[in-house]
Amino acid sequence: MAAAHPHRKWSLTQEAFDLLLRCLADDREIAGEKYLEIRRNLIRFFEWRGCPFPEDHADETVNRVARRVSEGEDLRNPGAYFIGVARLLVLEIVKARAKESQALGEIANSSVESVEATGDEPRIECLQQCLETLSSDNRELILQYYQGEKGEKIKNRRQLTVRLGVPLNTLRMRALRVRERLQGCVEQCVSETGM
Amino acid sequence: MDVRDAHLNEELIIRYLLGQLPEAQQVEIEDSAFQSQQYMQDILAVESDLIDEYVRGEITLNNREQFERYFLTAPERRRKVEFARALATVTSAVEPETVQNVRTFELPKSKNNLWTFLWGLRPVSALSLAAAALVVVVGAAWLITSGLRVRSQLNQLRAVQQSQDAQQRQLDQQLAGERARTEDLTAQLERERRAEAERAQRVAERSTKPGNPDMIASLILIPGLARGSNAEARVTISPSVRSVQLRVGVEPHDDYSSFRVELLTQKGQKIWSQDNLSIHTTRAGRAILLNLPAKILDAGRYELSLKGTNGSGGSEDVGYYYFDVVRK
Repeated sequence: MAAAHPHRKWSLTQEAFDLLLRCLADDREIAGEKYLEIRRNLIRFFEWRGCPFPEDHADETVNRVARRVSEGEDLRNPGAYFIGVARLLVLEIVKARAKESQALGEIANSSVESVEATGDEPRIECLQQCLETLSSDNRELILQYYQGEKGEKIKNRRQLTVRLGVPLNTLRMRALRVRERLQGCVEQCVSETGM
Repeated sequence: MDVRDAHLNEELIIRYLLGQLPEAQQVEIEDSAFQSQQYMQDILAVESDLIDEYVRGEITLNNREQFERYFLTAPERRRKVEFARALATVTSAVEPETVQNVRTFELPKSKNNLWTFLWGLRPVSALSLAAAALVVVVGAAWLITSGLRVRSQLNQLRAVQQSQDAQQRQLDQQLAGERARTEDLTAQLERERRAEAERAQRVAERSTKPGNPDMIASLILIPGLARGSNAEARVTISPSVRSVQLRVGVEPHDDYSSFRVELLTQKGQKIWSQDNLSIHTTRAGRAILLNLPAKILDAGRYELSLKGTNGSGGSEDVGYYYFDVVRK
């Protein structure tokens, strides 16, 4: 699989996108859901790989796959094909960053950034507002799940599993889904407040 | 190690997230994540916990350095860390009692933890539990119905039993009564049989023993027979007869206070008499009963004169009776 030429930027057309969707599923709605899931997974992949712009990299991956499909490529395993293209892109990114590091010298290597606890107040206020938008069950779930530290936190989670009558892993997944929803609400709130 | 079991091995996922795995293992984890949504969710959950440990200072020093060097390179991850810090701040500010209150507030309409448990079940488990509950309810209803029916039948049987017992007691009483009466009748019959036997024996003895003073000859005299007529009144006296009983019939209009009887031979000789005789009323009519010694009666004809005593003490002829005596 040849990597895309860095100076030729292929633009995703509607026709190419429709053709890509048809490769995912015959039904357009199902294909759309699969496309969104693939894109979410690509974003996570690029995050895990330490890439700086996961969403942009995911879109680039989609463009490259769509181009191959428009050129006659047959996607026998769409998931594997996408991640394969994504890995090649990661290699390109790593090489580019290495070149940038050499070009920038020590400045580029000092990329250790710790997230300082600054500017948390607007985010905390948004979080409190977003907590009120949750149902009482989900609000109670998220508060108790993350209540306490170390041993107390474990104890709280065990109490939750007993009270809700679900296994710990199920509780973990439920807390994760509520957290993701809550985080999206907070990010939107923060962007609206102009932080 | 099999990467597909990595969702059960959080340490491996943590090392992947911190960029500590070789390329080959990274590829295996990523392929598994793209193929399994559950595995993808497991990685995200581990990532979320790793972020929480970082913001709470619970991460190891080595992992912390790697976290800051590798994990925070992406802006999205930095936003995740900021959110996790805000969440930790909010949850740490919530008192345990508040959580307890929230817990009770969780179900404002229904404070039934059972409902919460049921609501939290997976559809398959809930359906199985509902089916089991339905079976239990149906079975309990059947048992209750059967029990009531059996109890009703038992009560009916007991009532029948009691009725049969009462009937049995009544029959026993009747039987005892009948037995008692039977015994009485039997005893009475036995007494009568003995009496009859004794009488028969006495009769037999009298007939076989001559001179038995208890032998009596009897004769009934009807009023209205004239002298010299061919009267049928006759008494046969055997040697064993000691007395002769004469039953002298009296007309109904012959109503006297007392009577006198005189016995005369054919020659007119008075051989016997008796005063102050009264009437005996029997089914055969009114009669005067006389007992004569048999020795005074020789063979021949006799005349019996019956006189009544009126109120003034005078005597009046009532009638004359004739009879023959035959000696054997």
